[in-house]
This record gives sequence, structure tokens and C-alpha cells, in this order.
Amino acid sequence: MILLKNATIFDGENLGTAYEDLLLKDGVVARRGTDLSAEGAEVFDLGGKLVCPGFIDLHVHFRDPGYEWRENTESGARAAAGGGYTTVVTMPNTEPAVDNPVTVEYLVARGKKAGASRVLPAGCVSKGRQGKQLAELALMAESGAVFFTDDGAPVSDAKLLKTALLYSRDLDVRIMEHPEEPSLSAKSQVNEGAVSAASGMKGCPASAEVIDIQRGIILSRETDSPIHFTHVSTELGIDAIRQAKKEGLPVTCDVTPHHLSLDETYVLVSRFSSAYKVNPPLRARKDVKALWDAVADGTVDAIVTDHAPYHLDDKDVPFQEALSGIASLECSVAVVLDTWAKTGKPVPLERLLELFTSGPAALLSRPWRSLGSLKEGAPGDVTVLDLEAIQRVDVNQWKSKARVCPWDGEMLQGWPVMALVEGRVVMNRLKDPE
Amino acid sequence: MTAQTEQKWAEKASVLGKEDMERVLRRIAVEIVERNKGLERVILLGIQRRGVYLAARLREMLREAEKVKVPSGELDITLYRDDISVLSDQPVVHSTSVPGDITGKKVVLVDDVLFTGRTVRAALDAITDLGRPERVQLAVLVDRGHRELPIAADYVGKTVPTSRSENVEVRVKELDGEDRVVICERTGGTESGVEA
Amino acid sequence: MEWRHKNLITLEGWTREELGFFLDQTEYMEELLNRPIKKVPALRGKIVMNCFFENSTRTRASFEIAGKVLSADVINWSSSGSSASKGETLRDTVWTLEAMAADAVVVRHGEVGVPDYLAKKLTKASVFNAGDGTNGHPTQALLDLYTARQKLGNLEGAKMAIIGDVLHSRVARSDIQAFRKMGVHVTLSGPATLMPENTASLGVGYVSDAREAAEGADILYFLRMQRERQEDGLIPSIDEYHRRWGATDSLVSLASPRAVVMHPGPMNRGMEIASSVADGPRSVILDQVRSGVAVRMALLYLCLGGVR
Repeated sequence: MILLKNATIFDGENLGTAYEDLLLKDGVVARRGTDLSAEGAEVFDLGGKLVCPGFIDLHVHFRDPGYEWRENTESGARAAAGGGYTTVVTMPNTEPAVDNPVTVEYLVARGKKAGASRVLPAGCVSKGRQGKQLAELALMAESGAVFFTDDGAPVSDAKLLKTALLYSRDLDVRIMEHPEEPSLSAKSQVNEGAVSAASGMKGCPASAEVIDIQRGIILSRETDSPIHFTHVSTELGIDAIRQAKKEGLPVTCDVTPHHLSLDETYVLVSRFSSAYKVNPPLRARKDVKALWDAVADGTVDAIVTDHAPYHLDDKDVPFQEALSGIASLECSVAVVLDTWAKTGKPVPLERLLELFTSGPAALLSRPWRSLGSLKEGAPGDVTVLDLEAIQRVDVNQWKSKARVCPWDGEMLQGWPVMALVEGRVVMNRLKDPE
Repeated sequence: MTAQTEQKWAEKASVLGKEDMERVLRRIAVEIVERNKGLERVILLGIQRRGVYLAARLREMLREAEKVKVPSGELDITLYRDDISVLSDQPVVHSTSVPGDITGKKVVLVDDVLFTGRTVRAALDAITDLGRPERVQLAVLVDRGHRELPIAADYVGKTVPTSRSENVEVRVKELDGEDRVVICERTGGTESGVEA
Repeated sequence: MEWRHKNLITLEGWTREELGFFLDQTEYMEELLNRPIKKVPALRGKIVMNCFFENSTRTRASFEIAGKVLSADVINWSSSGSSASKGETLRDTVWTLEAMAADAVVVRHGEVGVPDYLAKKLTKASVFNAGDGTNGHPTQALLDLYTARQKLGNLEGAKMAIIGDVLHSRVARSDIQAFRKMGVHVTLSGPATLMPENTASLGVGYVSDAREAAEGADILYFLRMQRERQEDGLIPSIDEYHRRWGATDSLVSLASPRAVVMHPGPMNRGMEIASSVADGPRSVILDQVRSGVAVRMALLYLCLGGVR
């Protein structure tokens, strides 16, 4: 039994106006009220800090199985807890790929054993992510897969994507599309724009993203089946999704902390530091602005890290040799809150918090949708934020195996200080002096 | 090759004024003619930077007195210095231009101050790379002592006893706006320890 | 002027004054090359490692001569048969170079950012970029600048046309940077398929028609054309390219009366440049090569001296 006292409560929709208490009992939310007391409960006085439904990250790479030297389910789940996330969805681009119920069950079991944040696997759309044959979608759904995606790459064949959309329509599991048209993005290293012009490196144009998004929207309309676009990075891409939503199509999307906070110029300013190499690439200033506009107007449904950890041998190399990906699980919430504060709080706090809680929860399969609220009876998943906390990012303290990060060494404001999964404390920095 | 700045060095005494400077240069000019029994095959080489201007004055005086235009040139010894690796900043290179082949010629090196002898050592190395003169002589406006190498001048304008903490500054109007030689003393800052 | 640069990775951080000072120093270095004994002891005891991970004859020879004239010991660390082909990571190569007490590392690599990477890792040695992928070739830009200044005097307000495959050209990128700093107006010309997407962000103009770019220009700079571009489908044929963007007498005749023709070499005669232009009165292509040694001498001298 845990009693969180004197908190400002965000319940997934609204922000409380007075200090309240929250009682967690038997792994679920038992009561919300003022001046609560409970015999035998462990009490945490939060002094006005923000209590939210546990944060959900729909897009992480834990490299398990196959690339465990980069990350594994245990280090990843602990990193997630350290970063204030209580639920993460792992991508299936592993070796072998997560394209069958056995591997899904393996990951669920590994996640439980880790005893940190909740690990929910995504399964592949196609066998071996080859884009040829449909994977065993229904069996994977039964085993606990919460998304189907060939992430790391798009579903390479339009016919297969259409088939998958039709087949998954009644499985209550969404297709998550990594929007990229490979013929336009092949060999690209950076955004097509100022940096590709200045360095001569091959640029990835916005068209590569928007063409694949349009393909998905058209097939979603045709099949009347939901589709989710992950790590949308361009103004054009976000505009296409906004239009589809206006039309009433079941189209959703997410954006990443790095695309909300960094633009392509960091590649030049850092003199080609591989920390800034990521796919999709960091985009132009106007794209960053467009993503914030989309956060404000409701086009964006979730913020996801796309946590992509690598070993130093993959990342501590010259830019063009480095693998693409940013590892940020343990600082991404602070990155978003810090950027939000420094850009003059362009959206209300509630809106931002939705994108970590009720927003992503609504995209999960039915058993998990209550993760996004703090109603009585909801799972006892809680993330506590301290919006005033200022702390330096230090990769050497990370639970993740990754050691390269664009924000390493930076002072950021606004950090998760506590996380609970089903009423169990998985991270607690409340007692830290700073 | 003086590297002092106004802030660090305060003027202590004046050694030669404008007229004195002209007088000693005229004497050196006469000595050059005497020593070489005329000016045949004599070349003046001024060491960058103030030696260049002093050489030009000598050349003019020799032209007036002997009606001979002595070939003259300028020599930059920066790339031959033995202290490049201990200086905090790389010294700036200036031009070297030598009038024709110096092999078989009598080269008179002209510099402003003779101190440790290291500049002259570098100049001798530079000359060796440019050709094989019959002889090399050295003319300096001021000899202030403290030699670190076995080097002596053939023509000396004035011998000035100094302490190591002092600096002898030769000023020429082309660069410094006046013709004067002064002794300066360090007023602050740290010892640079290295003298050009 | 106090020289504050230890490395040359890009000319981005160099001021106009520094460029001017550097070119002055280069003049004195060039004088040295005309002496009977082309050797001074300035860099005695310094070790310069020429690390060329990509083929190059002239740049490597040029750095080697520059180092040797200044009495540095120059070691050629070639990519074939060394680390790169044995699969050694660049990180290990860096530590090897450091362990061998190199004072300077001259690096050419096919990838963008490798000199930056080396400079971040090496604690002692100076790093000189001798060409990194499509990104930069700053010593080429310096020698181009030096040659142009020698021929035209003050470059402020001069007009320059850079013609050819700008998209893949590190020379073009570095030259744009350097010449713009000296007040030169730069216009690019070439097939749109061989231009960066965003030429405006480079601070230069672009016209498709080479004649328009050449009109009244003081410097005509022709870039190397690679046959692969035709195979990649970026140009239909070499012949078409030559007729529209090649250095021909009729194109050069449009330039200003004092105009010079430049090319980074090695030339593909009949492709991007006609022999009559390459060997013609406007051509300063051999002066560029000569300047290359003096420029690299000035660079080694200025960056390697002093206590650090």
C-alpha cells in the first residue's frame, strides 16, 4: 500500500487545482482525495509535485534477442524506469525478428523478470521483416503483441500493407508504420537541406516521409483500418496526417523528443558528431516548429523516444560510419519539458502530459487502455514529475547500455522523480539532495 | 626581432639620438670600405626587420661617399631560428630577397642589436643555404654583450653594457616614427626568457 | 598577428584577416622554393603523418614536399596494406598515431567528418584536412585563393563562376567558403542534377546556363567531372555535358578581359575542359599546383610551431 500525499494530480485529462492524495492498493488506484490516510501504507509527501498516470513510450529498441551487447530487455526496462516510463513498447527489429508468438512470449517473460517497467512487445507485420509474407498476427496478438510494425523500415510492399491492415482490423492491434520511401532515402545521412548542401552528404528529403504516409492513409481509407505513423519528422508529413484526421480516418501518429528539440544545424555545429545521426534525420527549423504546432492542435497522439541504443563501437566512429539512432530513454522526459519551458510553453501542460499518458494508452490494445488514467481501479502506474528540478544529463549513470547521447552533459529542467508500476516503486529520486 | 610591448617595457635611458645614429652609421660605412679595400663584390644583407632599414642607410651613405651602388638585400632568419619550438607563438615570416648569386661575394650582414648571437648564427645558416660567399662580415648598431655563442661583430656602432633584464630597443623612423636607441626595463609581466 | 589555429579542418572559423595574413606568409614560403637549396630547419624534429585513406597523388606529394622543405620528417601512412584494409577502426588508428608521437596528421578520407573526428580524439597532434568526402578540401581553397590573389590582386568585389558537379565536390564547398570570405561574388553553374538542393543556404547564386555565369567573371573555376555521374543517370552524356558546361574557348571568351581559368586537377581533357583552354593564356592551372606546396608550407609552419 502506497500513499502519495500533497500532489498536484494529472489524471490523463485534467490537471488538479489543489493538492490531493492518491492511495495505491493491491496494484491499482484505490482512492483519490484530500487528507487521505491508510493504516500501514508507505507515505510519500510530494510537496506539490505532479502525479501523472505512468508514462508510456510506444517506441523503444531493446535489441533483444540478438544484439544484447547494445541493450537487452533487463537494461532497457531499468532504463525506462529510470527515465520515468512505466510502460514501453519494444520494436521487433531484432535477430531473429519478433515475428512469431514464441518470441513475443519470450519478451513478455523477460520483461516481467526484469521487474522494472512494463515491457509490451510489438510484433512484425511480415515474416522476418522481409515484406513478403504476413507474420502470424493473430497468434502474436494473443501472446501479448500490442502493435504490428516492420519498424526500422517501412512495410516495403503496398499490397502487403493493405493485407495487414485488413487482417489486423479485428485483432484490436494497430499497424505502426515507419514512414520512409526507400528509393528516395537510400544512402542518406542527413536531412536534405542546409546540411546536405554544406557537407555534400546525401540528404533524406521530406518527400521520402510524406509519400509513405500518403500511401498508408490511402490504404487505411480503403480498408477502414487504423494506422499509426511513428516518428513523424516533417511539416509535410504532419500536414498529411492532419488532413486525414480532419477527414475522420483512423490515423494517428507520434513524434520524438529529438525532433521536437533539435534541428539539422546541430550536425554542423557539432562538427559531425555521430550523436546527432538518426533516422529520420534531424530536420529543418520549420519542421521542428510544425511538430510543436501539431502537438498543440491535437494532430500528434503521443511522444515516443525511439530509444535506439548502440555500443560505443557502433557510435564512437566518424559520422558517415556511425549507425543511426539516438538513445534517450533516461533523459527524454526532461528534454521535452526543458524544450517546452525554454520555448515559452507553446502548449498547455495538460496537453504535453497527455502525449505521455492517455494519448499513447488509447493506441494500445484494450486491456492496456486504462493505463492512461488514474481512475479508481486503474492500474497503479504512476509517474511523478518535478517541474523545478534541474539536473545534468550524465550517460555514465545510465541503466541503459548506451553511452552516446546528444544531451550528455547538459543541464535540463523538469525531471521524473518517481515511478510506480502496479503500486510498486521502480524508481525513486525523491530523496536525492538535488 | 624585438618582441617587447609598450606596456611591459619602460624606457630607462637613451643611448643614441638621431644625429648619433647617423654618425655611427657613417663610421661603419667608412670601416666597410677600409676593411674591404673598396666595395668590389661587397653585398649588404639586412636582417629582418630593423637590420633591413639600417642596411638601406648604409647603402645610401656608401653611394654618397664612394659613388657606388652596393647591391643589397634582406634576409629573414625566422625559419632558421633554434628557439621556434620553445616560443609560445610562431614568429611571423618576412621576405628574403638576395641580389643575385652571393657565391664568391663579400657579404656584410647588418643587424640592429647583437645580443646572444643566436640571430647571427641563424643568419649564417641561411646564407650557407643561399650560396658560398668569399667571406661574411657582421655590422651591428649596438653590441649589448651577453653572448651565448662564439660570435663577434666586425663593425660595431656602440657597445652598451646592459643587464639581462634590460632590453635595447633600436627605433627607425620607417617603422617606429623616430631614429633613436633606448634601454628599456621590464615593468611588469613575466620573464619571457627567450630573446630573439 | 598571433596564430590561433592548431588544426585546419574547415576554413569556417578563419577570419578574413587571418586569410590575408596566411596568404602573405605563403608568399615568403614560395620565395623559399625558388632558392638553390630548398630546405630550412624550421620544423626539424617534427613528425608529419600523411594518412591518405583515399587515393591522391598531388595533394599527398604537395604536403610531403612542404614538410620536407621545412625539415619535418614526413611519413606516408597509406591506406592500402595498412589499418583501413585490415579492418582496424579509426579510433584505434588514432591511438596508434598518438603513440607514434606524430606532431601532425594530414588526413584524406572518403567520408565526411573524419578529420573532425580525428581532431576531437587526438590530444597533441595537429590535424590537417586534405579532403573529406564531399565536404571540404580547405588547403585546395587556400591555394586557389593564393593563386587568384597573385593574378588579380585584391579580390574584393571580383566575380567567380564555379562550373560543374558542385553536388559531389569538396573543392567547390571549400572554395565557396574561402572566396566569399574575401569578398568574391560566387555564382554556380551546372546541371541541376549536380547541384545541392539548397544553394542559397551556401550564400551563392545559381544559374543553369554556364554562359550566364561566365559573363564578365574574373575567375572561371571548372570542377572535375566523374564518368560515374553518367552511369548514375545524373547527366545524359559526357558530350552533352562538355558542350553545355565544359570549358571551351567560346565560353571563356565571355569572361572579363583579365579573367583566369582554374581547375583543381587532375583534368579530364575533352570532358570538363578543352585542351585549348587548359593550355591557353588564361589558364593558371599550373600556378595552382605550384602554390599548393607554398600554401602547405605556411600551414605546417604556422600550426606546428610554438609550445602547446
